[in-house]
Amino acid sequence: MSIVEIRVTNRPYLPDPAGEEVLYEIKHALGINAVQKVRTAKVYRFEGIDELQARLLAEKLLAEDVFQNYTINAPIITDAQVVVEVAYKPGVMNPEAASLMKAAKDLGIGGLVAADSSREYGFYGPDISSRDIEIILDRLLVNATVERVVKEKPVTLLIWGQPGRTEIIPLRGMSDAELMELSRDKLFLNLEEMHAIQHYFRTIGRDPTDCEIETLAQTWSEHCGHKTFKARLLVNGREKEPLLKRLQEATAAVNHPLVLSAFVDNSGVMEFYDGWAVCGKVETHNSPSAIEPYGGAMTGSGGVFRDIMGTGQGARVIASTDMFCFAPPDTPREDIPPGCLHPHYLLRRVVAGVRDYGNRMGIPTNNGSVHFHRDFRAKPSVIVGAYGLLPVERCRKGQPQPGDLAVVIGGRTGRDGIHGATFSSGEMTHRTNEVNASAVQIGHPIEEKRVADAVLAAGEAGLIRAITDCGAGGFASALGEMGEKTGVRVWLERVPLKYQGLKPWEIWLSESQERMVIAVSPENLERLLEICRGLNVEATVLAEFTSDRRLVVTYEKETICDLDMEFLHHGLPKRVLTARWQQPALADPHLSMPENWEETYCQVMGHLNVCSKEPIVRMYDHGVQGSCALAPFGGVGQDGPNDAVVLTPLLGSSAAVVISHGLNPVLNRIDSYYGSLWAATEAVSNAVAVGANPKELVLIDNFIWPFPDEESLGALDRAVDACVDFVRATGMPFISGKDSLSSTYRGDGGEVIKIPPVLCVSVFGRLPDVKRTVSADFKGAGNLIVLVGQRVLAEMAGSVYFDLAGYLGRNLPRINLKVVTQVWEGIHRAIKEERVLACHDISEGGLAAALAEMCFGGNVGARISIPAGERPDYFLFNETAGCFLVEMAPTEKPEKVFAGLKHMVLGQTTENLAVVVEQEGHRLCSVPLADLKKAWQEPMARVFGTLDAVQGREVGS
Amino acid sequence: MKKPQVCVLRTDGTNCDRETSYAFEQAGGEPHLVHVNQLRSGEQKLTGYHILVIPGGFSYGDDVHSGKILAVELTSFLQEQLQEFVDSGKPVLGICNGFQVLVRTGLLPSAKMGEIKTTLMHNDSGRFECRWVYLRVEDTRCIFTRGLAGRVLHLQAAHGEGKFYTDTSTLADIEAGKQVVFRYATSNGEPTGIYPHNPNGSLAAIAGICDPSGRVLGLMPHPERFVNRTQHPNWRRQLFDEPHGLAIFRNAVAYAREM
Repeated sequence: MSIVEIRVTNRPYLPDPAGEEVLYEIKHALGINAVQKVRTAKVYRFEGIDELQARLLAEKLLAEDVFQNYTINAPIITDAQVVVEVAYKPGVMNPEAASLMKAAKDLGIGGLVAADSSREYGFYGPDISSRDIEIILDRLLVNATVERVVKEKPVTLLIWGQPGRTEIIPLRGMSDAELMELSRDKLFLNLEEMHAIQHYFRTIGRDPTDCEIETLAQTWSEHCGHKTFKARLLVNGREKEPLLKRLQEATAAVNHPLVLSAFVDNSGVMEFYDGWAVCGKVETHNSPSAIEPYGGAMTGSGGVFRDIMGTGQGARVIASTDMFCFAPPDTPREDIPPGCLHPHYLLRRVVAGVRDYGNRMGIPTNNGSVHFHRDFRAKPSVIVGAYGLLPVERCRKGQPQPGDLAVVIGGRTGRDGIHGATFSSGEMTHRTNEVNASAVQIGHPIEEKRVADAVLAAGEAGLIRAITDCGAGGFASALGEMGEKTGVRVWLERVPLKYQGLKPWEIWLSESQERMVIAVSPENLERLLEICRGLNVEATVLAEFTSDRRLVVTYEKETICDLDMEFLHHGLPKRVLTARWQQPALADPHLSMPENWEETYCQVMGHLNVCSKEPIVRMYDHGVQGSCALAPFGGVGQDGPNDAVVLTPLLGSSAAVVISHGLNPVLNRIDSYYGSLWAATEAVSNAVAVGANPKELVLIDNFIWPFPDEESLGALDRAVDACVDFVRATGMPFISGKDSLSSTYRGDGGEVIKIPPVLCVSVFGRLPDVKRTVSADFKGAGNLIVLVGQRVLAEMAGSVYFDLAGYLGRNLPRINLKVVTQVWEGIHRAIKEERVLACHDISEGGLAAALAEMCFGGNVGARISIPAGERPDYFLFNETAGCFLVEMAPTEKPEKVFAGLKHMVLGQTTENLAVVVEQEGHRLCSVPLADLKKAWQEPMARVFGTLDAVQGREVGS
Repeated sequence: MKKPQVCVLRTDGTNCDRETSYAFEQAGGEPHLVHVNQLRSGEQKLTGYHILVIPGGFSYGDDVHSGKILAVELTSFLQEQLQEFVDSGKPVLGICNGFQVLVRTGLLPSAKMGEIKTTLMHNDSGRFECRWVYLRVEDTRCIFTRGLAGRVLHLQAAHGEGKFYTDTSTLADIEAGKQVVFRYATSNGEPTGIYPHNPNGSLAAIAGICDPSGRVLGLMPHPERFVNRTQHPNWRRQLFDEPHGLAIFRNAVAYAREM
């Protein structure tokens, strides 16, 4: 059938922001100056319609006469030196295609069989070389994993193929070498595990199907099976309990009264108020984001949102958080290993992915951070969290009953994310890109929004017995887990497909996004289907829960999987792993005092781990749902950062949810025990700084670690010990967690890059009255500035100050949990009793950075004096977590309010817009706020092209 | 008297419907979430309502143009009902994506379905941005801003396609017809083209317009996000006689009561 092409572009005299953004990247990210201008056009293709119909589409749908021109079957950018069209690869679902089909139908256009869209770029400039274009396409516009350059008009837009067949794997007769060859790059199982599978099939006297092997591989994958966290450990020769057991037992021992569900459901649940509960889940999506950051980040967000939607009998997602670790955006390109993408590109594309998914779902993204270290250059850490609201009576994990039906709702199934689960468990290598390209797809947030609406409606109608999302492992994982205690019988041919040509095992394992499985009792089926119809959500009865504890899957008449649930879920051989840890050989530097304090102060503010991340936050809709009561940035000019987000999710009620997090990867390079204590302390301090009650906070852990060799596993063991000690000392339980233990890169040249181990601790809690919370911006001049908390100033290792001098150091902050617990109580009490005007916790950049940020927010200066005898640079730049800067009215009595806590009055806020630091009467420095703010705002503004906002910002009232 | 019935129109990708309903509740209306499918199937009729609001979001993913797919759907299947609703003098409000839909149906600026004279383009910055902006309320016959003329409102804008644009003659017409209701301004109320106060590069700093009758209003910023004090980012340091978004909804409800 013939294809009509319609090209649309803005009138030449009007701006083309998409083109200008590409031009900015070409100049700033790639340093190519031969390109003087970039214009873009949309290209639409329709199969099965004539030119008359095309004209109607162009005028009624595609091109707006007010500002655009269009052509039919003709080029539209005709005056550029080079014109290139970039499109998704066939098979990568273009989210726009469905909308094109719908609108055409609504316009009464018949005969249309397929539609697609893509983008055309026109590059202007007489001196553009073909090499320039090559670089622009390769590094900026075309991610070969999902995109391609269109060289000629396609013959058809339809994707077709013959349904593949199920194959029998002659496993029983395989040698060890053959077993491992089968496992390599595909199953990621070790020999012992392959033996267990071989033995199972030898006992039942037949060879497995490809479907059965794949099912076992993904159920037993590190990603789903958490083999390392469940393994018995030998640490420096001494046997220790499995990591997961230790964490869960610590939580159980605390027996926190507000915890309603911990470690059993898709997210952890705590009690809120008035019959409501709050749930939280934090996920990582490192591997996909490393090879296709936009799609990877999108599907990461989509996945964690579905974890919330799939908690209890369905929850409403009320917040999203994002924590990233990258190499510095200015890392020299030659330092980036083969097969890896440049951090400048990764950062921008990951942010775009999180932005587009959260914003379109209507979920406020209002807490997050970005950390930079060059050893993330091979594999970034991409952490996305989500939080939800659900009624207490529907907050516990449901259990399907024999006879219940499994209904899949949402997106169709394609060859997306095959091997996502096993892939994310494998190490990143130079071969990763080619071998696992299929592990990424482009998310479809509107599909997921529809599903979310349907889940809420079905939950409110009481139709959901149990629900889970189709994440890693697809149906195999979702149905395998839901049916573990009963057994389940699946009719795979019923699965709605995006296109023909999938093998049964691919349908079974596919990780196509935006799908959820609901267990419903037969009498409720029709009402569930009706709700879905009303919301344009496709729903299909896929399976029935049985009572034989078997996983039986048929495709048409053929049985392609028949496994014993017991073996599937408990046949995995328990690993015994050995770990070693010893303090790395590090030393503290002997630094002389800064010669130029102003310059040093500005350098600290401009350090990538201190600088403002506002350009990122502005791209996230943090106000949707009308619930935000403490925004990421506030103050006079709305550019002063806050420590945590405060939400009032029940509109009209003052009941509040507090959400924050903490991490500091570089400290784990020195000692993962104290690095992890720091992360947990920082997370809680962020929440307490805005007014949270430390007695009503719960925790979520995310371990993102290098591949667990003996050394890394030793560090992991210490990190878990730190978490357990933290729970015991503070009484705050971990109620959800996730581990991703594959962040090691191995190049074919033998190059090995391990990330600095990441423990990200997320915190959420409740507050009865949002009015008893504070922000970080100073509220006026002439107020007291009080430092609360205990610091050992010599503990400078891992600080930004040391990093700027080129050192890591050895003596890192060792948080005293007993002391910090008392400090939190004191800060909370002071805020609750409304004695605090502003509060900010101390983290990267130290007291100096915290002070400057409070000044930015309040548009006031500060004068502080450092106690005699203290080393002033350490006093200003020490990064011990669990310490706070507090603004109080001059009439307040800090010695009364903070009686029994280590605290000191540092000085006062001032009308003079500068930070003035004195010691023993002599002035160390007086730095204008404008200089500090400029240094602090510039780095990210440069990356995201918002320097104009930094310069042209007028201070509001 | 019975509370005015508010139709909060939803479809795939609508995501500001809950808070918009809450805003109308605060203002004394009785909101109902109505899916466009329910109007198409006849299960619901617009005639049963006194106020229509199209809330913010990403209807159908904002594919092709923001709000376009929904605008095409409304024009194709609900043109009569909508035109009748407007002609009968009932208030219609479009916020953010709803504004984009009204512009792309033609209900703004001319109150005539299918007559598309203005547009909302991609922000000059090329990206979605979420920030609080100052709006000067112009002196118009818009029923949603009665008593607000000359005030400077502080509301949150959150969009990627909010740049108001049209040809010079249409601009002259809507200016002459006093159809420009809101302009992006500095904190002291001066209309401005300077980023970030004008977050998208809108022509004549236009943030919201109404139809000639003043009963159809569309604006990019989100009044429904500031109907409670604690929704403002600086409620801890600033005092407000009342949240700046509330009056807009209250005016609509009051007008519906008078009808």
